[in-house]
Amino acid sequence: MAAETLKSGTGAGGAAALRRLLLDNGALTALIALVIAMSALSGDFLTTDNLLNVGVQAAVTAVLAFGVTFVIVSAGIDLSVGSVAALSATVLAWSATAHGVPVVLAVLLALATGVAAGLVNGFLISYGKLPPFIATLAMLSVGRGLALVISDGSPIAFPASISHLGDTLGGWLPVPVLVMVAMGLIAAFVLGRTYIGRSMYAIGGNEEAARLSGLRVPKQKLAIYALSGVFAAVAGVVLASRLSSAQPQAATGYELDAIASVVIGGASLAGGTGKASGTLIGALILAVLRNGLNLLNVSAFWQQVVIGVVIALAVLLDTVRRKAGAAPTPIGSPGGGKGKQFATYGLAAVVAVAIVGATSFLHNDPKSGTQKIGLSLSTLNNPFFVQIRSGAQAEAKKLGVDLTVTDAQNDASQQANQLQNFTSSGLGAIVVNPVDSDAASNPVAAAGKAKIPVIAVDRGVNKADVNALVASDNVAGGEQAAKAIADKLGGSGKIVILQGLAGTSAARERAEGFAKGLQAYPGIEVVAQQPADFDRTKGLDVMSNLLQAHPDVQGVIAANDEMALGAVKALGSKAGESVQVVGFDGTPDGLTAVEQGTLYASVAQQPSQLGKIAVDNAVKAIKGEKVEETVKVPVKVVTKETVAGFSG
Amino acid sequence: MSDPDELLRIEGIRKSFPGVVALDGVDFDLRRGEVHVLLGENGAGKSTLIKTLSGAHSPDEGRILVGGEEVRIHGAQDSERLGIATIYQEFNLVPDLTVAENIFLGRQPRRFGMIDRKRMEADASELLERVGLSVSPRARVRELGIARLQMVEIAKALSLDTRVLIMDEPTAVLTSEEVEKLFVIVRKLREDGVGIVFITHHLEEIAALGDRVTVIRDGRSVGQVPASTPEEELVRLMVGRSIDQQYPRERAAAGDALLSVEGLSRDGVFHDVSFEVRAGEVVGVAGLVGAGRTEVVRAVFGADPYDRGTVRVSGTSLKRHDIGAAMTAGIGLVPEDRKGQGLVLDQSVEENLGLVTLKSATKAGIVDLRGQRDAAARIAGQLGVRMAGLGQQVRTLSGGNQQKVVIGKWLLADTKVLILDEPTRGIDVGAKVEIYQLINELTAAGAAVLMISSDLPEVLGMSDRVLVMAQGRIAGELSADEATQDAVMSLAVSIPTTELEAPRGR
Repeated sequence: MAAETLKSGTGAGGAAALRRLLLDNGALTALIALVIAMSALSGDFLTTDNLLNVGVQAAVTAVLAFGVTFVIVSAGIDLSVGSVAALSATVLAWSATAHGVPVVLAVLLALATGVAAGLVNGFLISYGKLPPFIATLAMLSVGRGLALVISDGSPIAFPASISHLGDTLGGWLPVPVLVMVAMGLIAAFVLGRTYIGRSMYAIGGNEEAARLSGLRVPKQKLAIYALSGVFAAVAGVVLASRLSSAQPQAATGYELDAIASVVIGGASLAGGTGKASGTLIGALILAVLRNGLNLLNVSAFWQQVVIGVVIALAVLLDTVRRKAGAAPTPIGSPGGGKGKQFATYGLAAVVAVAIVGATSFLHNDPKSGTQKIGLSLSTLNNPFFVQIRSGAQAEAKKLGVDLTVTDAQNDASQQANQLQNFTSSGLGAIVVNPVDSDAASNPVAAAGKAKIPVIAVDRGVNKADVNALVASDNVAGGEQAAKAIADKLGGSGKIVILQGLAGTSAARERAEGFAKGLQAYPGIEVVAQQPADFDRTKGLDVMSNLLQAHPDVQGVIAANDEMALGAVKALGSKAGESVQVVGFDGTPDGLTAVEQGTLYASVAQQPSQLGKIAVDNAVKAIKGEKVEETVKVPVKVVTKETVAGFSG
Repeated sequence: MSDPDELLRIEGIRKSFPGVVALDGVDFDLRRGEVHVLLGENGAGKSTLIKTLSGAHSPDEGRILVGGEEVRIHGAQDSERLGIATIYQEFNLVPDLTVAENIFLGRQPRRFGMIDRKRMEADASELLERVGLSVSPRARVRELGIARLQMVEIAKALSLDTRVLIMDEPTAVLTSEEVEKLFVIVRKLREDGVGIVFITHHLEEIAALGDRVTVIRDGRSVGQVPASTPEEELVRLMVGRSIDQQYPRERAAAGDALLSVEGLSRDGVFHDVSFEVRAGEVVGVAGLVGAGRTEVVRAVFGADPYDRGTVRVSGTSLKRHDIGAAMTAGIGLVPEDRKGQGLVLDQSVEENLGLVTLKSATKAGIVDLRGQRDAAARIAGQLGVRMAGLGQQVRTLSGGNQQKVVIGKWLLADTKVLILDEPTRGIDVGAKVEIYQLINELTAAGAAVLMISSDLPEVLGMSDRVLVMAQGRIAGELSADEATQDAVMSLAVSIPTTELEAPRGR
């Protein structure tokens, strides 16, 4: 069903059939408008390679969304699919890699994990009478937590035989696309032809009528959520195989993309309607948007705005189309066609104009002939990386090269997509700041195969060659931070450590450095170590909690300045007086606090230097000049005495 | 030409929707201080007509005059300004707000920008008194029964200084005692000079309350007659032919007992209920609203649990609270609330008809869709469901055709014992007769029918035996010959009740 729709959408089927299809499916109209707009704006968009990229990038969301379609059609909701995907992949990697379970068995174990999570959801909803929103929200948290527990917060290498799922067949056909199509066909078959599928529509349309017609609603719901769990597990395996590693933090927030895909595809959150083909189109719309916006070099911040607007417009298009067609006329009568057509084409025009307008307004037209470099940052939600970007942009301007910056939002698979897009649009060089050093290996290797030089910045890439790594040494920095606080406290005292986002290499390496540094100071007692995810608000909350338990703490080491500043807020007037806080990174905010004395010291990296040197090396690599394999940017402890002389 | 007493005049209104002409030339007028009944079968165009007055639809052709001046009504604000208020069957009330807040919703009296609760509640009590409703203005609407909700709606209409009050089947959901109360209020409003447009399917109410009757058929006004017109004549005008027999029951030979219920009890709801229904028999269940009739049949069907007793079909006893077991034994239930419990409104006729047989049409998890479609086409043809095609959404069918679909899904499952709970509520006369014919066919084929109805003439006209329930118990059983309105009523109130609600019918 799904494939059918696709074929007639892109192929040159009968004109009448095509028109009918467009009228019946607002989302398809929106997708076509989008594809036309993207092709018009970017010459790199409409190539076989890039379209396959789009397919690969849609695959994980689409498979998750097929599962969510079952749940939404039956008037439920499943928020846990992202976490369940990560958990299933982690279980697979953990059992196969760490415990030597045969791969076939490990795969079954992963699928069983998905089923189990779904059954728990279904049980809470059917028999515990919990609202689906709450039950699956709980599973979202439990699933993520278990993934972190099992993996101990670090990515686990994926068994090589399963990692082929992330490869291509015959060198060009990506396996994730095949998996997506297969799962789509299964979903369409389940929805259209099977007992459980037809039950979903009846239960979603009117649960009481379904019950009084003899459907065993609670049992069916168990099965529906279990199905959603299986699809989530498959999505998790595909995701992990693309990255060659199971990441406990993978697929965070994907449940929202999945739900958006289902709704864009024409399903109602009230239940009773929805199709697999619609869901596929919804997932493709999101993927085309992300891909196209990357290619067009739209500012990372504006991308999110554009994506939100397109989601709203796509659903609006469908709603208006339905309203126009919803007059009390028997289905199949020729009347009502005009208003419907008008509404559809009108809104399609609005969508197209909005996209073309927004993207051409927002994207920075590259001057022809100049060298192009792509910079993929792990996040822009943190001043440190914003400074890397400023340094890189300033240097690019100086050297006269065109720099495209993308933001992976701390999501390894989104970063893989962006790197893939860079590779397929034929950039001169790529600068990558990996979300995770293991997970970046596949896309970096692919760029290498395409003879595009890659420079890693701030974090290295494992298991793939990069031309240069521009970084400051996190472990050494951690040691220096430990030394700074121990010396300040005179070699004895109680301290707490605020750790970074579990599962990131920076968090691991800095923690390692703290531990190493503190070994030399037996008088320093670490009374607590808790993660605050590199986040200022969380730093504030966690520190406030720790103060309740340990009011006599004398020092704080935070794995970045943001958390350190949160801790300073929690400490209030104690900060800098009875409690010394050491941060990491040397961000402008952090340095200001050092100057004011609330922060005792920050282990300053020089982020804008990192960005600048990375771009320098990239340009050198393009020209074929030799570059150093590792370029160390100095790290130094900045205190009130030295802050005046320091500039990032 | 302008009559000073004329509030409203409609001339030659036409309205078509894509593919359907809903109104095809309707004339209507309303005078000060009269109750003008709008009569017509479901789908005749009454709803569309009142929606053009409330501003939900605007007519394609024709004129609407209010107080002698031509007006255009484009929305709720327009009709409110013109003093036209409509009370629909589904109330427009917010359950968690108080009565006073609902009456003045969006127009709460304000003082210094804050809502002046005291004044609002005082004004509300005055209005409530006018409609004879003794509830606190501070009561939450959620806590009120349906009759009181209706009074709140009327109070709300009065607060808007309404001159034209449109009531869409206000009596459909009321017990006859409540109907009497409603009539008292409507008469009082009439004396106050309000013009009332009254829609009802109950012909006996016309003579009791109405002044004039306009009959609408197929989108046209086919006649305006005084309310004293005989019922047969009204029916002839309404359906365009005369219906010789309103209750065409043909008795079949009664066979063995198919359904036997013994000592069925659920504490606090029904007690020691025993009865049997034989093959070929129609057993009616009469009683007051709240006598426990629906609760008993839901327990028999397995939809709800019971505490004691047995249910047997053809001698085999059924597992308690198990719909599947009841269905396997051949019991089917057509529930009281057609839209809320009987149908999946947004699905097609085909899918609704196939719902009960879905399981049996499934092999290895896969549904035989073609078989389902063929079966649906056959049964829809047999029942004469008027539809554009099997793919039409049941939401867009008329009430009578919707009910045929609900019954049809049980016929497909070869149901031996069919339980009908208020099978003809809200259905027009023509469709009612078709459903009665269907009951005849069923019993002729050896099935047993258990029919709950609050429409006493219907119970008496269609049943071979009548069970009367009162206060959760069977108060008595009457044969068709013994069953008269008086006999049924005296049994229905035979156990002292605190709430004396008489069933519909006089």
